[in-house]
Order: sequence, then structure tokens, then C-alpha cells
Amino acid sequence: MDDIRSSPDQALVDAVLANRPGAFERLVREYQGLCWHIIQRMVRNPEDARELCQDTFLRVHQCLHQYRYESALKSWIGRIAFTIALRHLQHKRIPLLDPGSDHDGFDLVENIGDGFDLEAACMDEETARHLHAAIEALPPLQRTLLTLYYLEETSIPEIARITGLATGTIKSHLFRSRLRLRDTLETRTGVAA
Amino acid sequence: MIPHDEDHIPVFDDDAREREWLAQETAMRREQLQLDPASDDARSRRYRLIARRLRQPLPGTLPADFARQLAMRVGATPAASAASGASFEFRLMLALAAVLGVASAVVIVIYGNAWLPSFVELLPDPQAPATRWLLALAGCLGVSWLLGLWQRRAHPQHD
Repeated sequence: MDDIRSSPDQALVDAVLANRPGAFERLVREYQGLCWHIIQRMVRNPEDARELCQDTFLRVHQCLHQYRYESALKSWIGRIAFTIALRHLQHKRIPLLDPGSDHDGFDLVENIGDGFDLEAACMDEETARHLHAAIEALPPLQRTLLTLYYLEETSIPEIARITGLATGTIKSHLFRSRLRLRDTLETRTGVAA
Repeated sequence: MIPHDEDHIPVFDDDAREREWLAQETAMRREQLQLDPASDDARSRRYRLIARRLRQPLPGTLPADFARQLAMRVGATPAASAASGASFEFRLMLALAAVLGVASAVVIVIYGNAWLPSFVELLPDPQAPATRWLLALAGCLGVSWLLGLWQRRAHPQHD
């Protein structure tokens, strides 16, 4: 707890709670990217995402005095964003995961095609479009976990604090979604190669 | 950061899956470090392409003045501080204690004549030797406590 209490998080939280000019704006600036990544990946609709980001920070402002430094401020705010996006999906009856997605598809991609040129595939617009569509087709939870892991470079234990999922469950989701994306590449670039 | 027991990341039961997981992780790290893909195998290169795509910024973003607009919006309602929350709780406790005190006084005034004499009978006889010793002990404890209090005030400790 001492580490968190002596961190810049505490200075920022204290400044917001003391209503110092510019403090809340600084907090929003610091964490708006994280909230956007979580919410946009969950709900996908940009207008809804903007509105939910706003709701997230209004809630942060309202509840900041309840923050007890038990986790990093990033995880605490991320948790609020995730919960708000989750409620939105539940309200719209959008499933968080594919029903019946217990099989991880590992057997399907055991055979690996040879001769994959990374730079050529990266430049190939058709492959990029294919991969983009495959990422968009992932269930909301898996899309969000991948974004937190790759784009935000958030560790698995920290993702666990944001989502409330067990680390083993997060590992399993990351594993499956990367396999699924690799399978997409196998079918696409296998043909191209 | 507080260490959490649940921070441990379990290993897959199946060796092949764990190897695949490690390949995914290695490819992600190599892509983060932008290492030369020449020494990577075909599987690793595919995972590196996935990593490259996933590290690209998301389409769309929040308005440039999002933070300023939000700060202006909440400017009229100051953030509730922990101190204000605590002071509300303290005020509520004081109000409840006052209500309890008034209610007790009303009950004593209305029904006191009926049951107060019974309580008086239960009190020990002030002339009895045991009561005198108890009073002396209570007096010593009280004086000792007051002396301690006075010493703390006169010589406060700075940690």
C-alpha cells in the first residue's frame, strides 16, 4: 500500500479531492485513452463509446473518495469503465462471449504452413483487411482482453483487477483468440504463400 | 502495489498448449522489441503479424477537448472528499446520539418513579469497607490516567 500511496496517483487523487483547478482535467487526460480502449472494444459503436466514457469519468468524480489505494488508480478507473461497458452490453442483450465456445481450436491449427514473409504480409492490404475483420469478429470480451494486453501493455494480473476475471481465465481467452487469428492467417496467407 | 494471491498465472495442463502459449508470448515480446524477424519461424512470424495489427491505434477517438469539457461540467459539483463523507457520518452519529439522549430523558421522566427506587436498592452501601476500597482503587486509576494524559499533552512525541 505504501508504494501506491507514495506514487503520483496519490498526488493526483488528493488534488482532485481538494478540488484544485485543473486536477480533474489532468486525471481525465491521463486515463481517457485507457477508457476509450476498453469501452470502444466492448461496445464498438463510437457514439455509445463516447457517452459511456463520459459516464465513466462522472462516476470516477463521484466515487473517488472511496478509492482505497488497494490497486493502481489505472486498474480502479479501468474497472469502472469495464463495468459500465458490461452493463451497456447486458442492457442491449449483446453476449460477452460466443455461446458454446468451449473448444479452443488448438487441433485445427497444429499444422503450420511454411514460408511466411512477415513484411510482405504486413504490406498486403488484403491480408490486413482479413485480419482486421477477424479481430472485429471476436467476441467483445476477447477483443477487449487483446487490446488491454497488446495496445495498453497491461499485465495479466492487472487485467484481472480491471475485469474481475481470474488470471487463468484471461490466459485461456488470450490463447484462444490468438489461435483463432492465426487460423485466419493460415487460411488466408497459406493461399497467398 | 499490493501483491495479490491471484496474480499467479497457471500453466496449461497440456504441454502442447503451454508450448503454443509460450510461442505466442515470445512473438509478442519480439515484436514489442522490434527484433529482426529473420530468425523467427513461420508460426512466430504469424503471431508477430497479429501483434503488429493489435498494437495499432483503434479507429475513432474522443474529442480533443473531452477532458476540458468534462472538467467544466463537474466544476459546479466539487468532488466529494473522504473527509466530507466522514464528517457526514459523524454528524449523523451525533444526531442519533442526541435523539437517544432525549428519548431516555423522556422515558425517565414518565416512568422513572416506578423503577428508579428498585435500582437505588441495588447500589452498594457507601459505608461498607469493600465499597471504600473499590472507590479508592477507582480514584487511583483515575489519577494515574489523568497524569498520563497531562504528560502526553505537556511532552508530545514526534514520530
